[in-house]
Amino acid sequence: MDALVHFLPQVWFVILALFLFLYVMLDGFDLGVGILSLTSSDEERRSLLMTSLGNIWDANETWLVLMGGALFGAFPLAYGTILSALYIPIFMMIFGLIFRAVAFEFREHSQRKLLWNFAFGAGSFLAALGQGFALGSVIEGIAVDEAGHFIGSTWDWLDWRSLLVALTLIQGYVLIGSTYLILKTEGDLQKTHFRTAKLAAITTVIGAILITIATPIVYEAVRTRLFSPPLVYVFAVIPVLGVVLVGLLLRSLNQEEEVTPFIWTILIFLLTFIGLGLIVFPYIIPTQITIYQAAASPSALVFMLTFIGVLIPIMLFYNIYNYVVFRGKVAGSAYGE
Amino acid sequence: MDLLSNTVALSRMQFALTAIFHMLWPVLTTGMAIYLVIVEGLWLKTRNPDYYRHARFWSKLYVLNFGIGVASGLPMEFQFGTNWAPFSEAVGDFFGSILGFEGAMAFMLEAGFLGIMLFGWGRVHPVIHYLATIMVAFGANLSTFWILVANSWLQSPAGGEMVNGKFMVSDYFQAIANPFMVKSVSHMFFATLETSLFVIGGISAWYILNNRQQAFFSQSLKIVLAAAIAVTPLQIYIGHLSAEQVAHYQPTKLAAMEAKWDTSPAGQPADWSLLAIPSETTQTNKWEITIPNGLGYILEFKKNLSEPVLGLKEWAPSDRPRMVGLIYYAFRIMSGIGFFLAGLMLWSVLQWLLGNLSTEKIGQQTWLLRTWIFAAPLGYIAVESGWIVRCVGRQPWTLYGQIRTADAASQLPASNVLTSLTLFAVVYSILFVATLYFGSRIIRQGPNLELPVPGLDNQTAVETEPATFVPDQRPLEAQQ
Repeated sequence: MDALVHFLPQVWFVILALFLFLYVMLDGFDLGVGILSLTSSDEERRSLLMTSLGNIWDANETWLVLMGGALFGAFPLAYGTILSALYIPIFMMIFGLIFRAVAFEFREHSQRKLLWNFAFGAGSFLAALGQGFALGSVIEGIAVDEAGHFIGSTWDWLDWRSLLVALTLIQGYVLIGSTYLILKTEGDLQKTHFRTAKLAAITTVIGAILITIATPIVYEAVRTRLFSPPLVYVFAVIPVLGVVLVGLLLRSLNQEEEVTPFIWTILIFLLTFIGLGLIVFPYIIPTQITIYQAAASPSALVFMLTFIGVLIPIMLFYNIYNYVVFRGKVAGSAYGE
Repeated sequence: MDLLSNTVALSRMQFALTAIFHMLWPVLTTGMAIYLVIVEGLWLKTRNPDYYRHARFWSKLYVLNFGIGVASGLPMEFQFGTNWAPFSEAVGDFFGSILGFEGAMAFMLEAGFLGIMLFGWGRVHPVIHYLATIMVAFGANLSTFWILVANSWLQSPAGGEMVNGKFMVSDYFQAIANPFMVKSVSHMFFATLETSLFVIGGISAWYILNNRQQAFFSQSLKIVLAAAIAVTPLQIYIGHLSAEQVAHYQPTKLAAMEAKWDTSPAGQPADWSLLAIPSETTQTNKWEITIPNGLGYILEFKKNLSEPVLGLKEWAPSDRPRMVGLIYYAFRIMSGIGFFLAGLMLWSVLQWLLGNLSTEKIGQQTWLLRTWIFAAPLGYIAVESGWIVRCVGRQPWTLYGQIRTADAASQLPASNVLTSLTLFAVVYSILFVATLYFGSRIIRQGPNLELPVPGLDNQTAVETEPATFVPDQRPLEAQQ
C-alpha cells in the first residue's frame, strides 16, 4: 500500500507532464503562427496562416482542457492553489485563447478582417504571455502555508524572472510556429519563415541560457538539488544534448530542409521539458508541496487511471489520424466552398 | 455587505454570467450534431443530393457556434481553481475526476474529429466522413453526460462522506449514479435536442415564409417536426419526474419553485400557486392567483397529498435559497415553454396530416410558420431558466447539504474578481452579438444548391491535396 501511495502520484505526474508537453508543442505552434501573423501585412498570406491551423487548433487546445481536468482530479490541492495564486496570468491566458478562437470563426464570415486578424494575433500573444508568466511563477515557487494554501499577494507572479520565462516561451512558440509553417507552406512564405525560425532559434537559446544560469543562482533549493547526485549527471548531459540539437536545427535551416527543422524543434522542446520536469519533481508547487501531499486519494487516482489511462493511446491515435488526413502543403479556402 | 467588495458574491456572479452565456452555444451544437448525423445518414442511404447540401449548410451554423462554445467554455473549467479553490480541494477526488473524464472522453473526441467533419469532404471517403460526424455528435453528447453527472452529484451527493472537510469517496460508481443523475442527464439531453430542433425549424420556416428554396427547407422542417413528435412530450414527462425528485431530495428548492411559505400537511389537498409576487421580507406572497387543490394533482396526479409539502418557513433564512421570485418565475417560464412547444408540434402535425405542409401549400401556412420563427429562441430561454432553478435553488449549498457556497470560494482580492467579471461581461456580450450578426448573415446568404456532391462509388476520395493556393473569393475590404 505504501508503495502505491508513492507510485500513483508519480504516474499522474508523468501523465500530466505528457499532456502539458503535447499542449505546449501542438498549441505552441498554433500560438507561434498567431504571433507571427502580427508581423504580416499581406492579407492573402495571413489567410493562409490561419487556414494552416483551421482544422487542428481546437484539438490542440483541448490538451490544455484535458490537463486542467486531470490536474483537478489528480492533484486537487495544487489545482486550487496554483490557479487562485495565478489569477491574473490565468485569466490573461483565457482571454487570449478566447480572442484567438473567435477570430477563427468570425473572420471567416466578416468583411472587416483587420479586427479579427488583430484578435487572432494579439490573442495568441496574450495567451502565450499569460502561460509564460504562469510557468515562470510555478518554477519560482508560490507562497503557501503548511496546508498548501496560497498566502502570497495577487501580484507575486510578476518579476523579472517570470518575465524572462514569458519572453523565452514566446520566442519558443515563434520558433516552433515558424518551423511548422516551413513544413506547411511553399515559396516566398516558406522563405520568410526560414528567416524567422533562425532569428527565433537564437533568441530562444539566449533566453534559455539566461534562465539556466539565473535559476540556480537565485534559488538555493534548486542549486543544492542540481549540484548533487543523481541530478548532477542528468544536468551535465542535458546542456550538451541541447547544444547538439540547436546545431542540427540551425544547419537544417541553413540548408532549407522542410521537415527536419520542425522535428529538431520538437526535440528541443522535449529536452527542455524533461529538464524542467526533473527540476520540479517530486514537487508540484516547488519547493513546498510535493506530489504526494497534493495528490487525491489512491482510489481516486486508480479510478481516473482506469478511464483516462486507457484512452490516452486512443486519443493519440485519432489525433495522429487527423494530421495524416490533412498532411501536405496548406491550400485554399478552409471550407472548400 | 457591499457587493463590490464581496468576493464570494462576485465569484458567484462571474460563474453565473459565464455559465449563462457559455450555455447558449453548446446547447445548439450538441443537439444540432444529432441532426447532422441524421441528414448525412439520409444522404448516404438515399443519395439525394439535397440531404448532402443540408449537411453542408447547417454545418456552417454549427461551426460558428462550436468555435464560440469552445472559446467561452474555457473559463468554466479553470474557474473552479481560480475562484473556488477550497471547493476544488474538498471535492477534487470525484468532481475533478469527472471533469478529467469529460476532457478525455468527450472534448477530445469532438475536437479530434471536427476537422475531418468540417474540412474533410473530398479528403476522406464519405463513409469515413460519416463516422467522423457520428464521433463529433457522440463526443458532444458524452460531454452533456459527464457535466450532468458532475452537477447532479452537487445536487444529491452520493458515494461517500465528508471527512475533515474533504469528500472521501467510497464508491465511485454510486457517486456517478447519484439519485439525480439519470433524470438530469435525460432532461438536458432532450433540452439540447429540443432547442436545436426548434432553431432549425424556425430558420426553415423563415425561408419558406420568404419564398426562398421552399422545397429544400420543407425537408428540414419535416425532419424536425418528425423528431419533435417524440421529443416534446417526452421532455415534459421527464421534467415532471425531475420535479418529483426535487420534491424528494431538495425540499427547500421545491418550496422556492412554488413560492410556498407554509407547510401543507399530508392527507389533505393544497392550492397550487399559478402566479404570485413573493416577498422575502414578509415571508408571504403579496398577491397570488391559485388553483384550488392543484398541488396534489401536479405532484402526484391526485387530490390529496400523500406526503407533506414543506414551506420555506420550516428553515432558517440562512438554510434556504434566496431570490424566491427568480426561482418561482424561472420555473414557470421553463414549464410554459415546454407546453408551448408541444402545442406547436401538435398544431403542425395536424396540418401535416391534413396535407397542408406539401411544398405547394406550405407557403400559405403563414401563421404556423410565424409561430415557428417565434419559437426559435424559446428553447434557449427554457434551458437558461431551468438552470437558474437548478443552481440558484440549490443555494446556500454548493455541495447540497455538505459545503456552503460561502465556504467554497477562494479568498481573492475583490478587485481581481470585479475586473475579470467586468471583462467577461463585455467580451461575452460582444460574442453574443457577433454570433447573432454572423449567424444571420449565414442565414441570409442561404444554402448553395449548386454545390457539387462528392462521388459515393469511388473508393478513393474525390480530390486529395489540392496543390495551389486559391484566394478567398469574398470581397476583402481590409486588403492592403
